[in-house]
Amino acid sequence: MKLTYQRLLPYLFLSPSLLLLAVFVYGPALENIVYSLFSWSSMNPDWRYVGFGNYRHLFSNHIFWASLVNNTLYAVISVAVQVFVALGIAAVLDARVFKRRLVYLFRTTFFLPSILPVTVVGLLWQLIYQPTLGLIDQLLFATGLDSLSRVWLGEEQTAMLAVIMVSQWQWTGYMVALFMVSIAAIPRDLYEALEMEGASRLQQFRYITIPGVREATLILTVITIFGAFKVFDIVWVMTAGGPNHASEVLGTHMYRSAFRDDVVGYASSVATVIFFITICVGMVQLKMQRDR
Amino acid sequence: MARDVPSAVSRGGHGPAYFALLFIFWLLTGVSIYPLMWLVISSFKTSAEMFGNAWAFPESWQWGNYLKAWNAGISRYIVSSVIVTVASVILVVVLSAAASFALVVLKFRGKAIIYTAIIGGLVLPPEVSLFPLFKTLNFLGIYNTYFALILPYVAFGIPFSTFLIRAYMVKIPGELAEAAVMDGAGPFWTFWHVYIPLCRPILASAALIQAMRSWNEFIFALTFVESESVKTITIGMMSFANALRSDWAVLMAGLVISVIPIMVTFLVLQRQFIGGLTQGAVK
Amino acid sequence: MMTQRLTTLALAAALGLATGTGVADAKTTVSFLHKWPEPENMVYFNAAVKAFEEANPDIDIKMEAVADEPYKDKIRVLMASGQVPDIYFSWSGEFGKKFARGGRAYDITDHVYNSDWKNTFPEAALQPFKFEGRLYGIPINVDAKFMLYNTETFKKHGVEVPKTFDDLLAVCAKLKDAGVVPINFGNQFPWAASHYIGEMLAKLVPNDVRVGDYALTRADNELYTDPGYVEALKAFQQLNDEGCFNRGSNALTHPIARGSFLAGRGAMIYMQMVEFGRIGGSPIDKSGWNFFTLPTFADGRGDPGIITGAPDGFMVSAETKHIDEVIRFLKFLTTPEQAREYVNITGMTSSVKGAVTAENADERVLQGLKFLDAASGLALWLDTDMDARSTEVLLAGSQAILNGTETPEQVMEKVRKTALAVKKEREKN
Repeated sequence: MKLTYQRLLPYLFLSPSLLLLAVFVYGPALENIVYSLFSWSSMNPDWRYVGFGNYRHLFSNHIFWASLVNNTLYAVISVAVQVFVALGIAAVLDARVFKRRLVYLFRTTFFLPSILPVTVVGLLWQLIYQPTLGLIDQLLFATGLDSLSRVWLGEEQTAMLAVIMVSQWQWTGYMVALFMVSIAAIPRDLYEALEMEGASRLQQFRYITIPGVREATLILTVITIFGAFKVFDIVWVMTAGGPNHASEVLGTHMYRSAFRDDVVGYASSVATVIFFITICVGMVQLKMQRDR
Repeated sequence: MARDVPSAVSRGGHGPAYFALLFIFWLLTGVSIYPLMWLVISSFKTSAEMFGNAWAFPESWQWGNYLKAWNAGISRYIVSSVIVTVASVILVVVLSAAASFALVVLKFRGKAIIYTAIIGGLVLPPEVSLFPLFKTLNFLGIYNTYFALILPYVAFGIPFSTFLIRAYMVKIPGELAEAAVMDGAGPFWTFWHVYIPLCRPILASAALIQAMRSWNEFIFALTFVESESVKTITIGMMSFANALRSDWAVLMAGLVISVIPIMVTFLVLQRQFIGGLTQGAVK
Repeated sequence: MMTQRLTTLALAAALGLATGTGVADAKTTVSFLHKWPEPENMVYFNAAVKAFEEANPDIDIKMEAVADEPYKDKIRVLMASGQVPDIYFSWSGEFGKKFARGGRAYDITDHVYNSDWKNTFPEAALQPFKFEGRLYGIPINVDAKFMLYNTETFKKHGVEVPKTFDDLLAVCAKLKDAGVVPINFGNQFPWAASHYIGEMLAKLVPNDVRVGDYALTRADNELYTDPGYVEALKAFQQLNDEGCFNRGSNALTHPIARGSFLAGRGAMIYMQMVEFGRIGGSPIDKSGWNFFTLPTFADGRGDPGIITGAPDGFMVSAETKHIDEVIRFLKFLTTPEQAREYVNITGMTSSVKGAVTAENADERVLQGLKFLDAASGLALWLDTDMDARSTEVLLAGSQAILNGTETPEQVMEKVRKTALAVKKEREKN
């Protein structure tokens, strides 16, 4: 009796978590793959098995490819800004160039946008981007740069970039804070030793900071890519994928297919693609975390 | 984080590079917070002033905008968000701590597999589960209730907080648990009276991270509830904006109101906030 | 699935979370979902539900309301989950037919036509709710789209109400030269463009051709090939290219454009009758406004007398267990007394005969109804009349046309391809 209790005990602690994961995380993710093999919609309860039919549609749909390109663009810009620019900012803040109180102020203000709900950020920037009346156009008019004014969210060339920039605005400060923690973990005497030899700040950054945060950089890069491929909310709030699908990403393409075009089986196949992309990226992350 | 600055290293004299950097950083500060300041200032304007000069201060401060926004029903969205956030935070922290305790202190077979199974949830984006999850919630009869948000939030929150808490518990000397057992304490007692108090800092971090996730979550909140009475603030603001788009100033007042709770939490718990979020790198 | 449910229930119970209210009483609960959550509308619906429940103590009406745009998502979600409300809102036309086709709507033909109830509505209001000759919906109001104009601005700049499409372009040119935005237009959610395009199509494409294309009943090689389609998109393009619209229409929402018009900026806006209720108390209400129907085309092959508009109505879930109670409630809502009250409070029209009178309705609404009576027919809202996927293509195309990134020909070619694919799938099912 005692033995059984002892043996069951760990599972008593684990079972609520495992159960929730099974029912709400793993189960649905697998079920989704099954869903993607059928043609079905919310209006029509009849499920018709179509094998890989949805995937054939998917791969021949130019909107899907355009979405994938947009997600990739999202990832590239996000890595450039949120990883590399953020690392630079963090290094400067850490290097005691500024007084400590100033560092504290900068870190806090940069961090601030990341705590805001995405709807608030989206609606706020929608107003800022507003043609003629918005903050950006007013700034351009005030400085005589009228010719640069664009309908930022309404033109196909600018809509996606305008949304991506908002993401950078929101998350770069957050990444700076993460990098600062990582840089702070580098032993101080390394810098001092190099300084004694007369190395410049840039050289210190090059030979101590960068190698010191290599691991963190890798992980943050992976996380940023991960986020860029599953993005949905900010795009949905700001442009809903428009105009003319110019800012469509996989997430909005999936949502629109299910809830506007009534092809839920197809939408499930989009979800499966997101699943595979993120699982590949996620594997890399897990591997790196384990190696650490 | 704060280190003593040896005097030998501190620099005197500022060259042009310093001023260039200082200028850049103040510029970045402006870019970071000016949109928020503009939001606050504009929320006190009349709609007519908004269409005039976007940069000017209001001629008279329109507190009435806030009253209008509040009466348009923001309060109930905030209440829903608070309920969903508090419930999911408590559940996530308790369940993850329990799982971590088992993984660290108790002895059983298949530990590595179970740990991987929990952490593996990290790589699954919630979007992927949307449609099946929707059916499951219906099947359980909890669609359009708080539970339709709380349970998925908890399930998707467990992997990361378990990752955090376990990493912290591993560092707690095993002798503590052994001593407790020697004194005749059961595992539940040990968990609750020894490990939970010791883990307080990391539990606080995990709680903050989960609070931010639950408060800001979007796609589940968009899909799994429909009644105004259960809508959380992220989605509620969309309805609010649709109803008030033509009245910009009131819309902006509403946006300000909706960020006050999270802003206050942030300013009060700033150190823990940044510290907590940086414990683990998730967005 | 069953074990999944059990385990989760056990879990929920273990966590001390009760999931249902579980109150048992003898009342029959009828669920009712509509799309008018605005305060002025809820005043009416709350009162109506209360009055009905007092008169029928055995029935409990559980009412929910979701706004227009989210309603399109919500009803799909409910359908997918099998949680169809007993009574739910539907636009007429293809949007409603989809429910009938999928077997989700209750056939109420006999309830209406085998009783006096049929005399409540003009036949024209019932027609758009029919599918394969059977009736699936009860009309509640009739809505229509008109071009509103600021009378003061028109007078100041010496322009007259345009009679033809070319007149309209001339009016735009004159206003634009005077520095006035001719038409306020917000197309971030492109249903706004679909209303222009829908009416232009009705005036440029022969009626039977258009109806056949929307219903996907025309032959594959003819589907959406009529030159009128491209002509309509070109007319829409012309409005944009000749400067009729404000700058950046693709980045503005309709409510923002409407807000500008109500505040007295811009000379015109294309607006629905149901929105008239929002005008009261705005600057434009004081300076004066009036409206006209979208002008006709000199060489249009469609029906020049057609107006964009449609009855809105309610459908009944095919799975309802309380059909008698449902019918009782719907009959109650469409009694002359309730219909008059509805018009009075909401400022909307009613599809119930004799409900809109000079006593309870705004003169502008009466005038709108007069236009409707004089119209030779209704072009239903394009985005509820065409199939959903082809509509999506056309709507996205409207944004591309505004930006000049796609030509009308290219857009129609895509619409045609999509329509063919949808037709093929429908035939397979």
